[in-house]
Amino acid sequence: MPGLFFRRPVPSVLRLAALAVLSAMVSFYSLDHPGLRIVGLSVARPVFWVNGEIRSGWTAAERYMRDLASLQRENGRLRKRILSLEKQDLSLPVLRSENRQLLALLDSFPTPPGKVAVAEVIAQSLALGSQTITVNLGNLQGVYVGQPVLAAGGIAGQVTETSPTNARVALLSDRGSSIPVYPMGSGQPLLVAGTGNPQSLKIPFQPRNTPLRKGTVLVSSGLGGRFPPGLPVGTVTAIRRPVTRSFADIRVKPAASLETLNTVLLLWPGARARP
Amino acid sequence: MTPTVVAAMLACLFLALVGSTLPLGPMYANLHPDYVALLVLYWAITSDNGAGYLPVWAIGLLQDFVVGDMPGAQAIALVLMVFVLYTGISRVKKFSSWEQLLFIFALLLLEQLAAWLWQGWSGVLPQWHLSLLVAPALGTALWPLLTFALDHLYQYFHRPRT
Repeated sequence: MPGLFFRRPVPSVLRLAALAVLSAMVSFYSLDHPGLRIVGLSVARPVFWVNGEIRSGWTAAERYMRDLASLQRENGRLRKRILSLEKQDLSLPVLRSENRQLLALLDSFPTPPGKVAVAEVIAQSLALGSQTITVNLGNLQGVYVGQPVLAAGGIAGQVTETSPTNARVALLSDRGSSIPVYPMGSGQPLLVAGTGNPQSLKIPFQPRNTPLRKGTVLVSSGLGGRFPPGLPVGTVTAIRRPVTRSFADIRVKPAASLETLNTVLLLWPGARARP
Repeated sequence: MTPTVVAAMLACLFLALVGSTLPLGPMYANLHPDYVALLVLYWAITSDNGAGYLPVWAIGLLQDFVVGDMPGAQAIALVLMVFVLYTGISRVKKFSSWEQLLFIFALLLLEQLAAWLWQGWSGVLPQWHLSLLVAPALGTALWPLLTFALDHLYQYFHRPRT
């Protein structure tokens, strides 16, 4: 059937090429215009709503199986309480290990974590190297791009896109994620980057004779002002020093279990705290 | 195509998008088939006039938005998959069922790899992951069941009303 503008049907190869060009234009445009992805996040809202309902139904069915209504209510309260306490406990190992007086003199005492809100994970994408989750809080609750996100154990990632009711969070394991850290008990600034694998992060560009050791605990340094200092990021699990390369291959296990996130904490550190 | 069939297709697409993003843990996240690609394949094969490339591209773009991938990646991957399908389907129809299933696997793998490589536009090529092979394999395993269910759905909507 002839097209609207062409006397003969356009060959398939040409249509494929045209759509490839169109895709490339959309991809390039989205790199410089995050607004496009935000529109996409809003368009996907019905899908996330159904996801949330299914998730809620799943959770409700699980609780029903336990068949103890009072325990369910108490469990819910305690879960939130535990998350709050875990958030407060995150900085304790650092506080114990550092000399308070010296830190005060250096004017680098860990800042109070600030206000937090509990958010539920309503969508996840852990394939194709894009390590993201979507949570059920958005602009309307004061969520902003760049906001730190915590989970039980340590830092989980940061908000990259927001819509009025949802926010997309890039996990530490996302290939585009990186976070400034320092080893506990040392002031050496390092950068931990994502690998696309939720169980393994890396420290790039460290010389082969790096003083880091297996088991070294890494905490956020606070450089850049995005993440509060002193929050657990991960533990060095492996250091390889290939003779053919200039840099060591350092692997880090995230402090938070990034692949099994059900609930996360959104953090409004210090000055960005909102009512 | 009747409005009822279009509505049923949209409902199936919606369910496929939900299935792609369900937060049910790491096992599910990495090891679920690409429901949208399966649906597009079924539509492209069974549609009388064939699936238009532009609607397929639009479906892919919607999937990109929902999943959070680089916009355009799934879109062009789905179009490429349909293009290869239409190029080879006349020959594949003469093959046995098992060989046809192999063709379906090849198409799903092609779509997955195309979307994976397209992520390189962002400047960072995602890491190779086992799900790149497992998801097409699961999709192929699901294909007979899916076609059976969708065939029945299609016949239900085309049943003469008395």
